Amino acid sequence: MSGECGSKIYRQVAFQSSSLVVGWSRDAGKLGPKVTDYLNRQLDAQELAEIEPSDFFPLGGVSVEDDVAQFPESKFYCCQERNLVIFKGDPPRAEWYKFLNSVLDIAEQCCHVAELYTIGGMVSFSAHTAPRELLAVANSPEVKKILSRYDIVTDMDYETAPGQRPTISSFLLWVAKRRNIAGASLWVPIPFYLVAIEDPEAWRKSLEFLDTRFGLGIDFTELDEDISRQREKIARARIHSPEVDDYIRKLESNISLTREESEKLVAEIEGFLTKRE
Amino acid sequence: MGIRLYQEPRLANPVLVAGWPGIGNIGIIAVDTLRGVLRAEEFGEIEPWEFFYPKRVSIRNGELVDLEFPSNKFYLGKTENRELIFFIGEEQPTEGRGPYAEGEKAYQMANLVLDVALKFGCHRVYTSGAAVAPIHHTMRPKVWAVPNSEDLIGEVRSYDNTILMSDIEGRGGQGTITGLNGLLLGVAKRRGVEAICVMGEIPLYLQGFPFPYPKASKSVLEVLATSLGITVDMEAIDNLVARSEREIEILYHSLPSEVREQLEKLRHVAYAKPTEPGPITEEDKKKILEDIDKFFRKEDKGS
Repeated sequence: MSGECGSKIYRQVAFQSSSLVVGWSRDAGKLGPKVTDYLNRQLDAQELAEIEPSDFFPLGGVSVEDDVAQFPESKFYCCQERNLVIFKGDPPRAEWYKFLNSVLDIAEQCCHVAELYTIGGMVSFSAHTAPRELLAVANSPEVKKILSRYDIVTDMDYETAPGQRPTISSFLLWVAKRRNIAGASLWVPIPFYLVAIEDPEAWRKSLEFLDTRFGLGIDFTELDEDISRQREKIARARIHSPEVDDYIRKLESNISLTREESEKLVAEIEGFLTKRE
Repeated sequence: MGIRLYQEPRLANPVLVAGWPGIGNIGIIAVDTLRGVLRAEEFGEIEPWEFFYPKRVSIRNGELVDLEFPSNKFYLGKTENRELIFFIGEEQPTEGRGPYAEGEKAYQMANLVLDVALKFGCHRVYTSGAAVAPIHHTMRPKVWAVPNSEDLIGEVRSYDNTILMSDIEGRGGQGTITGLNGLLLGVAKRRGVEAICVMGEIPLYLQGFPFPYPKASKSVLEVLATSLGITVDMEAIDNLVARSEREIEILYHSLPSEVREQLEKLRHVAYAKPTEPGPITEEDKKKILEDIDKFFRKEDKGS
């Protein structure tokens, strides 16, 4: 079935008042795609709808990443029992406002979404051994009040630095506010040397909140195994390279690294973690 | 998608002057200087969110308080004998591709600007931008002028320091004006409004540098002032030019001597009629331009 604005609706689900979780495919520490995939698997979520890419992405070919051809995805999944809708998508390359309104159109019209949460990773200069935090930006005082009941940092101050642009999640949150949809963007700071690879501890931090907020009953076993595996690998990297160990020790002692040291740490850790075993 | 007007003044035969960023920000500096000199006041805007990605988010105490977009504002200025509407866009809508407007969004933007121009009875529109030319930075930039009607050619030709496309050797009156400065000219033609685009020359070796070139903006401003029949105090732009000249000289003298030698030859290149022929031959000129082009291509690859 075709919907408005170049969308395809695969099924009609009778939601009363649902919540939407939004994760973007390109994200620090692969947080967005991994959390949405984990949720979809755990909740046995069904494909609900998708937005056609032609208005929002250049389709003059495909990009190849990690040896695999990619194609823009903008898909909704749903778990009716939990009143939860999950959107996983690539950030659009054009017509951002129209795209974000399409997301909210589908969410409101097909699922009666009343609140939304975007999830994402942000760069941190802490060591991976530091506990992950969850930070939230609300689009209304009411949402902020709700979030303050959880283990979340809710007093963040931030202004986009010169030369940078706001995130697509901030844009979505603003569009939701214009449409009187309550929402928050949730952020987990990710150690800079894990930003380009994976940070399962950050995935867990996001999932823990969603699990508590929506009573999802998530089984974290699989994720905890990922976390253990990565911890072991980094521990091995520290033994293998005294330099890496020294850099991480400095970070653990709140000592900043030089640019050269940071670049070396990123290269070493990425090499170690992505090495085929 | 819409226009938001804070007031609806009654105007008598105004003109609209539009400016967007571009090479050397030549056009927008000229237009913004004129707006400043006339103390033109903001009276409306084009809602930006359908055209642009936001440029700044403000979060206070965990709450999203503002999302700021590139501005697209209308201003109203008056002289003794003339009313002017200014439109200044902070960015060109690009649909995520190049730096200059193209496609559906650009067309929509051009039409919205013209909607306002026509609503207030504008009979003429001016746009301004840059013309990349084989000139030396010590020379006074000329202004390339392109009207959207043959009827305006005589008028344009009468302005001091101005050339038409047909005055430029090898062009045969042809050319392209990229982005909204050009598109607005075309859309105005389609909607029966006369329009002129005035483009200040920038030396070809400065076009890629990320700083403004107010010397060309001054040339544009002079032409606009003549065309509008107004006197403009040039003090503000003269100060900008003086500062920019100092910066360019420092940069110029930091270039390798062999590059400077090539660029020096541009002092003698005459490429536009009816300029007097310089002391170099046509063959020399071709060689100079080829050498400079080759050098900058090599630089591009190296960077």
